[in-house]
Amino acid sequence: MDIKEVTFSYDKKRNTLSGIDSSIDIGKVTTIIGPNGCGKSTLLGVLSNHHQPQNGQVLLDGKSLTDFKPKELARKLAVVHQQNNAPSDMTVEKLTAYGRIPYKNFFSSTTIEDEEAIEWALASTNLLDKRHMPIDSLSGGQMQRVWIAMALTQQTPYLFLDEPTTYLDIFYQYELLELVRSLNEQHGMSIVMVLHDINQAIKYSDVIIVMKDGQIAAKGKPEDIITVDLIHDIYGVNVVVKHDEAAGMYIVPVGI
Amino acid sequence: MKVGKNMIGINRKSVSFIAVVLLLGIVFVKSALTGSIQVTPFELIHGLLTGTNDDVEIIKDLRLPRILIAVFAGAALSVAGVLLQAVMRNPLADPGIIGVSAGASFMSVLVIALFPTLFFFVPLFAFIGGALAFFLVYSLSWKSGLDPLRMILIGIAVNALFTGLGQAIGFSGGGITQSMSQVTTSTLTMKKWSDVEVIAIYGSIGLLLSFFVYRWCNYLSLEDRTAKSLGVNVNLSRFVISIIAVLLASIATTIAGMFAFVGLLVPHIGRTLVGNDHKVLIPFSALAGALLILLADTLGRTLIAPNEIPASIIMAVIGGPFLIFLLRKSNRIYGH
Repeated sequence: MDIKEVTFSYDKKRNTLSGIDSSIDIGKVTTIIGPNGCGKSTLLGVLSNHHQPQNGQVLLDGKSLTDFKPKELARKLAVVHQQNNAPSDMTVEKLTAYGRIPYKNFFSSTTIEDEEAIEWALASTNLLDKRHMPIDSLSGGQMQRVWIAMALTQQTPYLFLDEPTTYLDIFYQYELLELVRSLNEQHGMSIVMVLHDINQAIKYSDVIIVMKDGQIAAKGKPEDIITVDLIHDIYGVNVVVKHDEAAGMYIVPVGI
Repeated sequence: MKVGKNMIGINRKSVSFIAVVLLLGIVFVKSALTGSIQVTPFELIHGLLTGTNDDVEIIKDLRLPRILIAVFAGAALSVAGVLLQAVMRNPLADPGIIGVSAGASFMSVLVIALFPTLFFFVPLFAFIGGALAFFLVYSLSWKSGLDPLRMILIGIAVNALFTGLGQAIGFSGGGITQSMSQVTTSTLTMKKWSDVEVIAIYGSIGLLLSFFVYRWCNYLSLEDRTAKSLGVNVNLSRFVISIIAVLLASIATTIAGMFAFVGLLVPHIGRTLVGNDHKVLIPFSALAGALLILLADTLGRTLIAPNEIPASIIMAVIGGPFLIFLLRKSNRIYGH
């Protein structure tokens, strides 16, 4: 996926993204981090064609996102948004099955491929025993897994997640990140996510994109780019960067 | 299969459907038999088949059109409510409350007042009026999403505007009052078979179309962003569903008059009984709405016979408190 000179503005006065030129590697976990308002969720929105850039373009398999038909794109790229809603009495399985919409036209009915995709998605997200439950009986962590199951049912090579750990307890945060890692390792999915927690980004990403003021400040392997100076420049926070046998690399904030 | 405590089982859905169909049948027959002229069920059927019973002929001319119009109007208004609620993702959307019916009524009155010869095209103009009111409410209450309370407030304003305009024409008109009373008041008296034809044709088209778009209604209950990520054409879905809703509300208003609250009450009861899946909710609301208006009309003309209470007044008396109940509940849901 190639990002070519992308500039985006919500109000046409101030650029939320300005001149972004980068790429997303196939088969990798890429995490976008940065302070509030730096444009990281907006960048994810542009990469998933929810926002159309005023200038530049995003190419997927050499084709501009804006040239894809909506369902064609939904077979390439699935998105788990930060806020989601569905009728409370809907069952897990029915909601998961919505991920097959990109494969359907107005009149088509359920096929064997649909059923296999649903089974696989429910199994991958460990929801098989919850499939007939209404979604209002689920916990926050389970609910987030249902949204991921729906995205998986789309059977796309790319999976995008916008702050997937927000609102979750620490156990569910790591459960979700482990799930993301296994989807990448076992199924070769290319994953792009926005995270707030720098240590989680370091631990679970192949590539980190650091953003500030609508531009990419740094991009690369976590070990290569996360430094005391970078974190101070971006967040204005003083940190210590540590390396540990068990924990790997991590940062500890020590003041501002 | 493990069944959650909140899950609405197949059984409850079937029982609800059977109950509403049975009740509709009972009220239908009861309504046909009750009134100043009384016949037995046997006489009614025999008379309808042979055309030899004078009493039955009167029932056929006066009572049956009224019953059928009540049935279609109830079904159309309820389904219009379901569709508007799906489009606006708001359980409080109702064609009567947000001004769609008033817009339709105003345009009908206007056309009858200015161009009485165009009477045949009144449903078309009613549709344009309804669509105009809907467009006003939708565009004015959209501000990066539809805030339920803002939508209700703007809907009330639009409703007042069109109701006022309609009444202004009513007061300025002289000889046209007879034909106008049809659209400004909502008693179901003096209905003819020609009225039945209009509402049956347009109503059936609207109801059939609404059954076809149930999937789109379901998709719209997700966030717009989520639906778009699944490749759903959200704008097209909204547009098509809105057109069907306005068609249903306008035709019901043109023929049967203004009924507030039906589109609010029936879908809400439907959601409680058969759930939020539009595949089931739309047909159930059609049946339950038919039952409700027919019941209101039958009660209205039997409670204080030989005088009548218009069905719309009965609906308002039931619906007003119900709206307060819903608003209080929705305050909890949306946390405003």
